Amino acid sequence: MQRNVAIIGCGQTKHGRLRDVNTAEMIAEAAWKAMEDANVSPDEVDAIVVGNMQGFGGIYDTELWAGELFGAPKPFLRITTGGTTGGSVAHGGYYSVASGLYDVVLAVAWEKHSDSKERGASTGLAHVAMANIFHTMQQGASIKWLVSLATGAATGVSAFQASCYMYRSGCKVKHLDMVAAKSRRNAAKNEYSHLRWPNCTPEDIAKTEWVSYPLRFGHVCPASDGASAVVYAEEEIAKKKTDRPAWIKGVAAYADEPNLMGENSQGTAITDLSEQLQCILSAKAAYRRAGIKNPRKEIDMAEIYQPFPHQELMFSERVDLFDDGKAWIALEEGQTEIDGSMPLDPSGGVLSTNAIGSSAMQRVLECALQVMGKAGKHQVPKDVKNAVAHGWGGATNFTTITIVGDSPRK
Amino acid sequence: MKRKIAIVGYAQTRHESDAANTREGMVFEAAKGALDKAGITREAVDTVINVSSDYQDGRTISNLFLVMAEGAYLKDESKVEMDGAFGVLYAMMRILSGNHDTALVVGVTQGSIFNPHQISFYTVDPTFDRQIGLLNDVSAAAIQAKMYKNKYGVSDEQIASVSVKNLVNAANNPYAHRKISDLTVQKVLDSKLYYDPIRELNISSISDGACAVILASEEKAKEIADAPVWIKGVGSCQDSYLRDRNLLKLKSLEIAAKKAYEMAGLKDPFTELNVAEVTERFSHEELMIYEALGLAKEGEGKILVEKGVTERKGQMPVNPSGGALGADPILATGLVRMVEAAKQIRSEAGKYQIQGVRQALAHGQTGLCAQSNIVFILGGES
Repeated sequence: MQRNVAIIGCGQTKHGRLRDVNTAEMIAEAAWKAMEDANVSPDEVDAIVVGNMQGFGGIYDTELWAGELFGAPKPFLRITTGGTTGGSVAHGGYYSVASGLYDVVLAVAWEKHSDSKERGASTGLAHVAMANIFHTMQQGASIKWLVSLATGAATGVSAFQASCYMYRSGCKVKHLDMVAAKSRRNAAKNEYSHLRWPNCTPEDIAKTEWVSYPLRFGHVCPASDGASAVVYAEEEIAKKKTDRPAWIKGVAAYADEPNLMGENSQGTAITDLSEQLQCILSAKAAYRRAGIKNPRKEIDMAEIYQPFPHQELMFSERVDLFDDGKAWIALEEGQTEIDGSMPLDPSGGVLSTNAIGSSAMQRVLECALQVMGKAGKHQVPKDVKNAVAHGWGGATNFTTITIVGDSPRK
Repeated sequence: MKRKIAIVGYAQTRHESDAANTREGMVFEAAKGALDKAGITREAVDTVINVSSDYQDGRTISNLFLVMAEGAYLKDESKVEMDGAFGVLYAMMRILSGNHDTALVVGVTQGSIFNPHQISFYTVDPTFDRQIGLLNDVSAAAIQAKMYKNKYGVSDEQIASVSVKNLVNAANNPYAHRKISDLTVQKVLDSKLYYDPIRELNISSISDGACAVILASEEKAKEIADAPVWIKGVGSCQDSYLRDRNLLKLKSLEIAAKKAYEMAGLKDPFTELNVAEVTERFSHEELMIYEALGLAKEGEGKILVEKGVTERKGQMPVNPSGGALGADPILATGLVRMVEAAKQIRSEAGKYQIQGVRQALAHGQTGLCAQSNIVFILGGES
């Protein structure tokens, strides 16, 4: 007998360069907001799941120092998986309650880029692969070739991925401009987001300089500070605490082997970065667990993890909301706008707010807000029965999928 | 617990310093070993939990390049960035939820690449303690050891005899790292002083190593293993930061143990447990662990070691494998404790086998002065 689990409260900080708080205060703000929203006191919280990409903030296991500001002493579980960290933390919170070991669990994820000299994932991630690069050099590989693989880090890899996707789908740079402009416009409606630009047009984005073809400066996510938190509860408590809980209907997080280099750069890995098999598998498993047979009919909106605009198109196809290579047509038709038939990232998404450890958690949180009808100005103008929260990370090889819905799984 | 869960396979690498092996190599060895031990292949594993740390490994996303080595590709995978025993807890949750039936947990740290004592500096409060620069895991433990000695009248000799017990035990364990069969209390007291009263042989032996455990639900466990080792109880708790808690007590371990005992239905752990494998990063910590686990009264941990109660042949053997003093592959250490406890239950411990083990305790910890603790109770018969 599986246990039904729901999100009963959400909390997040404003995102941007937060110089008036330290990491502990920032995390605590999100955590307390979530507990207040859920109408639970810290004493009612049985356990806490946390995570961030700790290299970026320069603090090792932040919760050991900061934990007492949001609940210690309590059972803590630190779960981190790179870009998908927030999604993995969200899953950790879900599993903590679904296991029956705990009834109420707080899950909180964060990033504070501005505290360290690290320039964030968009340029400073080369060290992810550094040990493997050195090892491969020991085996005799040329440094020129290896550097060409690692240059540009997340932006470099994503530019390559965007090219793969454009080749596969026939989408053009102008579509990337459209996605970016939509994201900035949506973000302007979200009081917590970082890059906000009301009335931003694709032409505005097209004026920005190239970073790495086919990506322009206007296509790149920011490096934000921020934290987000949700409170999970089992069925009875959830129904008692809130009128409209956001039920977690299915989760899955498949991993593939790291793309591009493969095992010690032997070239054994996937070369088409727009394939994203792990995402397809995760979505299938999550839909199966959620009892969703036809996602295109049953899903009402999605929050896709899109630090770069082609990813919103690509991943919306991989989670089976559109045919492979056809999402840009839906974009042209306006289907993915807030008031469209399949709104994607009404919050503005990762393109507009990227506190990395927290970003994939925010996708879950935003879906929960939409289901609960609490998204404010960026609430989609239709009844959200089921929503997909997507997370992406690793070296393009991790995905987390969470299906959030307005009724418990049967 | 909603479902019964058992350990059906396990393996560890030999723990050593400056291993001529990559993390990938070690993870593969442990994961493959555990699958072989269980007699299953990768295909039978539903979910994989990696246990490694970005800071200990000196790279972001430490699980990224281990996906192939641990056989997690195209599987539901995640990473726990705490002691390996917490990884087992997360794998358990995944099985209890009903989404999965089998799980592989793999922990790894190559402690000799980055000095963990230096890295521990980054866990202290960045605003004050890091700027002052005096606190790290060893100096914090020295403060704790001094407080503990003064409050309960514990002698350096009594603390040293924990090292003697564990390092002599380690000599019997083919996987252990620091084995000193002729160790004496005097030799411990003569070893290099780090921070008074902590000496070299009072500190766990930083190792390179990996360890893997396979968990299965009751139905699967009975299919896979002849002698599954059941998880009867688990409890965990994390304390407040160093400056805001009473260092004289391992309160979070006390809470964790209480919860695990309750779940396992243990009333008197001293008589009902046959052996305990605990993570003692410093020798004085083991005495404090006895007390927090309820094996000794407050301040009386010293009596257990003085009377030889926790010796291999004693009434309540603790760390017959040599414990963390014998080998400490940081994040894999709690997993090693679980494996050693399971080996005792299955009578596979060879030279350090305790006779007639039916219930065993395994303990893992994360953070300075054992801030976050987890306790497992394992048992043989179903």
